[in-house]
Amino acid sequence: MGQIELKQLTRLKSGIDGLDVLLQGGFVAGASYVIQGRPGSGKTILANQVAFNYVREGGRALFATLLSESHERMFQFLSTLSFFDHSMVGGDIQYLSAFDTMENEGLDQVVKLLRREITRQKASLLIVDGLLNARTKAETALDTKRFIAELQAHAAFAKCTVLFLTSSQLNDGSPELTMVDGVLDMREETKGVRSVRRISLRKTRGSSALTGLHEYEITDQGFVVYPRIESVYNKPYLQEWLNERRVTSGVKPLDDMLGGGLPHTSISLLMGPSGCGKTTLGLHFMAQCTAEEPGVIFGFYETAEKLKSKAERIGLDFRTPMDAGVIKMVWQPTVELQLDRLGHQIINEVRRHQAKRVLIDSLGAIARLAMDQNRMVEFFTALTNELRSMDVTVYGTWEVRNIFGPDINAPSSELSSITDNLFLMRFAELNAELKRVMSIVKVRDSDFDPTLREIVINNHGLDLTKAFRHAEMVLSGSPTSYDRT
Amino acid sequence: MTTILVVDDEFLIADILSLALEDAGYMAVQASNGKKALEVLDREQPALVITDFMMPAMNGLELALAMKEREDFKRLPIILTTGAQAHIAQQNNHLFDAIFEKPFDVFEIIDTVTRLVGTP
Repeated sequence: MGQIELKQLTRLKSGIDGLDVLLQGGFVAGASYVIQGRPGSGKTILANQVAFNYVREGGRALFATLLSESHERMFQFLSTLSFFDHSMVGGDIQYLSAFDTMENEGLDQVVKLLRREITRQKASLLIVDGLLNARTKAETALDTKRFIAELQAHAAFAKCTVLFLTSSQLNDGSPELTMVDGVLDMREETKGVRSVRRISLRKTRGSSALTGLHEYEITDQGFVVYPRIESVYNKPYLQEWLNERRVTSGVKPLDDMLGGGLPHTSISLLMGPSGCGKTTLGLHFMAQCTAEEPGVIFGFYETAEKLKSKAERIGLDFRTPMDAGVIKMVWQPTVELQLDRLGHQIINEVRRHQAKRVLIDSLGAIARLAMDQNRMVEFFTALTNELRSMDVTVYGTWEVRNIFGPDINAPSSELSSITDNLFLMRFAELNAELKRVMSIVKVRDSDFDPTLREIVINNHGLDLTKAFRHAEMVLSGSPTSYDRT
Repeated sequence: MTTILVVDDEFLIADILSLALEDAGYMAVQASNGKKALEVLDREQPALVITDFMMPAMNGLELALAMKEREDFKRLPIILTTGAQAHIAQQNNHLFDAIFEKPFDVFEIIDTVTRLVGTP
């Protein structure tokens, strides 16, 4: 019986973590790729970063331009990025202009020039910037195709990986794309006033890859790619996550209602309008963190300082544990935040901090970051399952718009099914008084006390009292008392 | 008329230098790498060479070494313009009469040319 052996191709790491994840280990060594994107999409930065990372690993790179723009100008803007090191230029990384040769002698001579330079520089990475110019120079589309084919053949013979950069948007049928082994497409999209940059691998010959659109951004560290959470983390829901272990919610009556506390590996969703006590309930939960079982708070609204004083007002000390690092706060405003970046950050922080308790205030704010609401279920499934696999107890808040009224809009039925426990919080008016009301809607695979409770918050903390024994229609916001007899 | 040879693979830089030299009254000829420069040297007999360092086929250092090998060129003044590896240039400064780091001031180069070969 013959066993099929899958040959592992040698990889040239891009050195950009997220991108290497998408490429499943890096570029295939000796293969050729087209990197396309409009001016400003960051192709040149990406290619330079790959080259510098490669040279730092001991490789040799050749950067050839078919553009009229001078290398000095390129170095000037690259010098603001941390990967760029001017002293390496001219050593293991060479920059050459083939513009003059292309203009005066044609594409054939460019191929000859580059072929000789690959040998002369002993380069195993060639970057050709300005394929669009080669296209304009070519008499027919066939000429560009030949240009790519010849260069590719020479490069492959020298075991040299080639990246062709172009600002044109070549469609799938164009001859250039049929030639190369892989295509990286970079684009900027706007949604409302927000703009999001996304990269996709449109073709990867001889290799699997994470397809689809993935967010990226250009920071002073250079190119950062955030693979779609659900494409990287795809653990299914495991039955073993359901176990008998319980942890305290930090609120005694709630523990009692839950029959002994929160299931250890679970995601609880706290739904309710602004001001009903979601964050307060979350703070009680986080106050249970210890040095052995630390926690992380991801906040978008309240800063660490605000949270500390908010806790103080209800008799909880957050200063000591936060200063000691028992509770870590990751605060960021939602402005210009990207969904997958945040997803990766949550997973990485929880892992790094070995957190056992996590408060996300709020999950609703994360959901609003999505460019495409259709993938929210996949995103949250991947995120929550990854968190469950790290053995954490999670609280997530979710604002609902209506303060009063009979309508109770769950985020969506699918999202509710992703969470293990669902707590509903409302305002209600009873006997000319505004009351906060809470009830447990769901606890996965467990009994619970479904009675409505009044949330009482004072400087000793939060309590849940049985206040609605003689009222009905409380959840509608306008309860009616019935006769006590 | 005094002829100056400008060697750079980046045509924009070669063009800018050539135009400035012509404005100053010199005649300028261009080559896009060291190898081509050697051909132009034979043909045009320039009085001075301004060369870039990082170029395909033959770089500025190799060009200078090749010129020193040739009896007819070994005394020609050479100005090096370099955007990289300035230390390599400094280590070989006996080959060059002046070294300018990119981005350079065009007029300083013209002044240096005038100092080395006189007014056109």
